[in-house]
Amino acid sequence: MTWVAIARKDFEDVVRSRMVWGIIAVFLFLMGIVTLGASAQIEDPSATDVIFFFTNVGGQIFVPIIALVVGYMAIVGERQSGSLRILFGLSHNRRDVLFGKLVSRTGVIAVATLVACAFAVALMIGLFGSLPVRTVLGFVTLTLLLGAAFTAIAVGVSAMTDTRMRAMGGAIGSYILFTLVWHPLVAGVHYLLAGELVGLEAPAWYLFALRLNPLEAYRQAMSLLIDGFVPALVGWENIVEDVPASAFQGQEPLMVSNRIAGDVPFYLTEWFAAVILLVWIIVPIAIGYRRFERADLN
Amino acid sequence: MPAIRTRGLTKRYGAGDESVVALEELDLEVAEGEVFGFLGPNGAGKTTTIDLLLDFVRPSEGSATILGYDAQDETDAVRDRVGVLPEGFDLWDRSSGHRHLEFAIESQDGEREPDALLERVGLDRNDGQRPVGDYSKGMLQRLAMAMALAGDPDVLILDEPSGGLDPNGIQTMQEIVREVAETGTTVFFSSHILGQVAAVCDRVGILDDGELVTVDTIEGLRNAAGVGSRLVVEVAGEPGEPVTDLTTIEGVTDVSRAEDGVHVSYTDPRAKATVVHRLVESDAAVLDFDIEEATLEDLFAAFTGSNSSREADHRAERDVRIETGDDGPALEAESEEVDR
Repeated sequence: MTWVAIARKDFEDVVRSRMVWGIIAVFLFLMGIVTLGASAQIEDPSATDVIFFFTNVGGQIFVPIIALVVGYMAIVGERQSGSLRILFGLSHNRRDVLFGKLVSRTGVIAVATLVACAFAVALMIGLFGSLPVRTVLGFVTLTLLLGAAFTAIAVGVSAMTDTRMRAMGGAIGSYILFTLVWHPLVAGVHYLLAGELVGLEAPAWYLFALRLNPLEAYRQAMSLLIDGFVPALVGWENIVEDVPASAFQGQEPLMVSNRIAGDVPFYLTEWFAAVILLVWIIVPIAIGYRRFERADLN
Repeated sequence: MPAIRTRGLTKRYGAGDESVVALEELDLEVAEGEVFGFLGPNGAGKTTTIDLLLDFVRPSEGSATILGYDAQDETDAVRDRVGVLPEGFDLWDRSSGHRHLEFAIESQDGEREPDALLERVGLDRNDGQRPVGDYSKGMLQRLAMAMALAGDPDVLILDEPSGGLDPNGIQTMQEIVREVAETGTTVFFSSHILGQVAAVCDRVGILDDGELVTVDTIEGLRNAAGVGSRLVVEVAGEPGEPVTDLTTIEGVTDVSRAEDGVHVSYTDPRAKATVVHRLVESDAAVLDFDIEEATLEDLFAAFTGSNSSREADHRAERDVRIETGDDGPALEAESEEVDR
């Protein structure tokens, strides 16, 4: 159980990093401006709109990026600096190191996420004097899961690679994969199979393949939670799908529940998105552990 | 049961024709309680051996045990009994030296006090409160030594422990090695500086280019290699007749007169006293004397045959001149830095 010592020590070290707090401060500043500016423009703004903005910018940009930044050096940093030899000399084994680091970095991201959520709650109360408690709890839970998933991806990549540059490449690459590659890729598969781009009404497997992407899982779950369409960073529906322009009027037509014929299967429900996020915590770490356990570490 | 035993331990990197052998068929046995010097130039495979003992890298062939535990299959048991001061490491810049030691003690369920450990390695309380990012290289080395001692290891592995240390620090490090050895701890001391190894070790293994060339005591090595050490006695005036008689002293192999004094080569260190005594009795006044031990280059030249000229040239540039007198090896710190 020596991972506890590593987790505690590592948490102290990361929390002392000015860079992490700098990123959080900049983000909160931007979020404040965006939220205040936007709620001044839309008619009849509500507390849910604040969550909407946070989901958009916070959930899809801030949380993943800060998780990748905080996580990618976790293992490879110790490996390159030689301090991993010191850890081994202090009776820790590879599993302790990996698990301790994962717990610590996830903890840091959880703190950052909670700070951001607390800020959102403060905005809601300050602007509207009310708080949709259930929606906020769902939002906080899903955002924490998203942060944990991206931390696991970053730490997994860190355990798999042997240089800082490769780990950085892996972290940046994963974000590009989820934001820029995933949707066109799934759309391409549909095109190959069906001979045409997918329309507004999409097969269930198509929507499921899309939401295997952790960012997409988070986005879709949040859409269902606040009962409004949360757009992705890049509006791929406009580019790689054959969706009529009218679908972009208002927000509802593009929601998963409106794109599927008949009942929504269980794997497209909001709680299943949480399951997908959990899988994104377990799988990268499992792969990272396997590689790390077998590697020559010099 | 030997503290460390390796059998045919081999490590190759890469595959096929392009593979590089870092360590080849190492058979080594270090007895419990022994201080074993592991000597060789940089790149000889010393760190690879240590990495294999700690399961940091996996052997291509062969096996290693520490206190009877297999280095690969019983890693946890090995690590619980071993303390390591690695070569070339960073610590965690933002936490204090004191916190590092707390962590080391907690990690190993040790019972020592951080402050006592700091004192042991020559760091004071104020140093302990500062973040490690402010430490000099020598202070880092001292702190890492303290961390290695935190769990009262049965086997202490030191990889180039004098790196970054000033003569005073080297002295402290050697005192610690002698102290822990007295309590029965086995010390595995890896270095490329003969003087350091000679100062503390019972036996020495010489590693060159991934192969173990020989294992012996320091004296045994010198004798076996036929490489004597040299006594240089600075004299005023001519010693006269008795000087020529020096050759008759047992253990003395050669006597010559040079500008800086009388040079006496010997293989038996006990000859020194007699030589000095005779010179003091002679017509000349003895102003000073100095001992020039056989250098690592000399030993290598003797043991590695044809390879040696290349090796010796290579090393000569780095000026790893060894002058271990009875006052302790004060001159090596500089040469150590050159390698980094």
